Amino acid sequence: MTNDNTKTMVIEKSKTSWVFLIFVAIGVVTFIFGLTSEHPERAWQAYLINFLLWSAIAQGAVLFSAVMHMTNARWSGPLSGLSESFTAFFPLSFILFLLLFIGRTHIFPWLQEDLHGKEVWLNIPFLFWRDFFGLLILYLLGFAYLFNALQLKYDPNQPMGEIRKYIYNAWKQNHLKPERIKSRMTVWGGLYILAFALVLSLIGFDLVMSMDPHWISTLFGAYHFVKSFFVGLGALIILAAIIRIKQGEASGIKTNHFHDIGKLFFGFCLLWADFFYVQLMVIYYGNIPEETHYVIVRTMLAPWNKLAWTVFIVCFIGPFFILLNQRIKTKPVLMLTICSVVIVGIWLEHLLLLGPALSHETQAIPLSLSDGLISLGFLGLMAIAVGYFLKVFPETIPVKESN
Amino acid sequence: MPRKRHIMGLFKNEDNVVSAINGLKQSSYEFIRVNTPIPSHKIMDALKLKKSMVGWFTLCGGILGFIGGFALAIFTATRWNLIVSGKPIIAIIPFVIVGFEATILFSVFGNVIGLLTQTRLPSYKWLKYYDPRCSGEHFGVLAACEVGQEDRLKDFFQKQGAEVRVFEQYKESPQP
Repeated sequence: MTNDNTKTMVIEKSKTSWVFLIFVAIGVVTFIFGLTSEHPERAWQAYLINFLLWSAIAQGAVLFSAVMHMTNARWSGPLSGLSESFTAFFPLSFILFLLLFIGRTHIFPWLQEDLHGKEVWLNIPFLFWRDFFGLLILYLLGFAYLFNALQLKYDPNQPMGEIRKYIYNAWKQNHLKPERIKSRMTVWGGLYILAFALVLSLIGFDLVMSMDPHWISTLFGAYHFVKSFFVGLGALIILAAIIRIKQGEASGIKTNHFHDIGKLFFGFCLLWADFFYVQLMVIYYGNIPEETHYVIVRTMLAPWNKLAWTVFIVCFIGPFFILLNQRIKTKPVLMLTICSVVIVGIWLEHLLLLGPALSHETQAIPLSLSDGLISLGFLGLMAIAVGYFLKVFPETIPVKESN
Repeated sequence: MPRKRHIMGLFKNEDNVVSAINGLKQSSYEFIRVNTPIPSHKIMDALKLKKSMVGWFTLCGGILGFIGGFALAIFTATRWNLIVSGKPIIAIIPFVIVGFEATILFSVFGNVIGLLTQTRLPSYKWLKYYDPRCSGEHFGVLAACEVGQEDRLKDFFQKQGAEVRVFEQYKESPQP
């Protein structure tokens, strides 16, 4: 690998990272402005939606690498390493979760309600401690997996920063053979997959379903983690597409990679819709008022019914018919667009799940410019985190020697 | 019309097959087909086959099944008009299951019909130009040439590193 190549590999050039810093600043300013306004709960609602969405993206994208390793898949090639770059958002996600504690009075509508015996589970200390440990375990497992996965790719010729030196020394002490590293990856990756399912179920129950404390759906946790993997794959395709567009053939991400991961994305689009339908079906047949009100408010009554149809079309019907086509799946630009639209759709889906519980009796969907600006801030955070990772570990993007 | 001579080059290496295919396509010889004991992406890419039509059969089957499944559920429900636990007669949500199952079933039917019609099986015509070694460890590249060019085609295959098998003998009279 020549020096010229190394230079071109730096994805986030200083200019772009400035743009994302400005995004973050805009997000922070809008959020603080929202807190001081008459409706701080609106700012917290946007914060919660974004926390859930962007954390899910990071967790889901890292899951891809773990799943590829566990299934011994070879087709993913450079995508697998690329997906590990999303671990950089884990610390940020954890801090964002801690900040959620400040807004607890605005985001948990059940604080003032009589919970009829559910207080044992739904009380602030227990909820925050269990989610705190859940996320901590999930993220530590993610980092443990990454620590081993990076070791296989490590290129000692790259410029050494502080972090690289630290990790390199830790590896040196271990003196492991590639086989040992792989078996360690299997252990940590397997635990990460398990923790992903359990912790994301917990987050789904605690931070999304509990907003309507009298409504229960046992499948909601599974629905939440399937959705997380779905958006995670979407974000991974976006990242791969950006790198492919910027660097062309040299990036090592081929048309086939886009085709294959496009198929997986398509599969998870179906799975997401399936989990949605399976819940709906049981509630429809059971016809118990405690369960049906949740669905009726969101899908049949104004103003939420329009949002429900938008989400369904944007996240399922649209991608389903578009992704049937093989050629579209192989075009990075088109996949970038579709995945971005789907992620926006899942953002709206979070709004659909949380909105009716957080803002009672609204005549219009509580959606304004400030929500968009706060989301922009989170986008900036994610981009900076991923960009930083790719800068520190440029071997994640395997640039082929193209002389 | 002069009769053609069929010659098969038997290769042990995938890459040689690819270069032989490319060479044949550029030459005046008629490239017919490859017999391979294993599925190979490299060879598939070199053949530059037209995109298969089977997918369209599957899609048509799926669409038919989707409509058919819903039609079946709705038609049978309206025959009885029984209201079950307060649900409407035509209850779309549970009918999705029937529609979905029928979509899958008829997609499979469409796919099988597509395979049967598009693969042009059975083809007895080419049986006599087959070498059993192609089910073992060899890739067989079958090509045809005009009478009198046999030696050059044999030469071509041998240069690519193949064993050569000639199907028609030189002085043989044409068989039906």
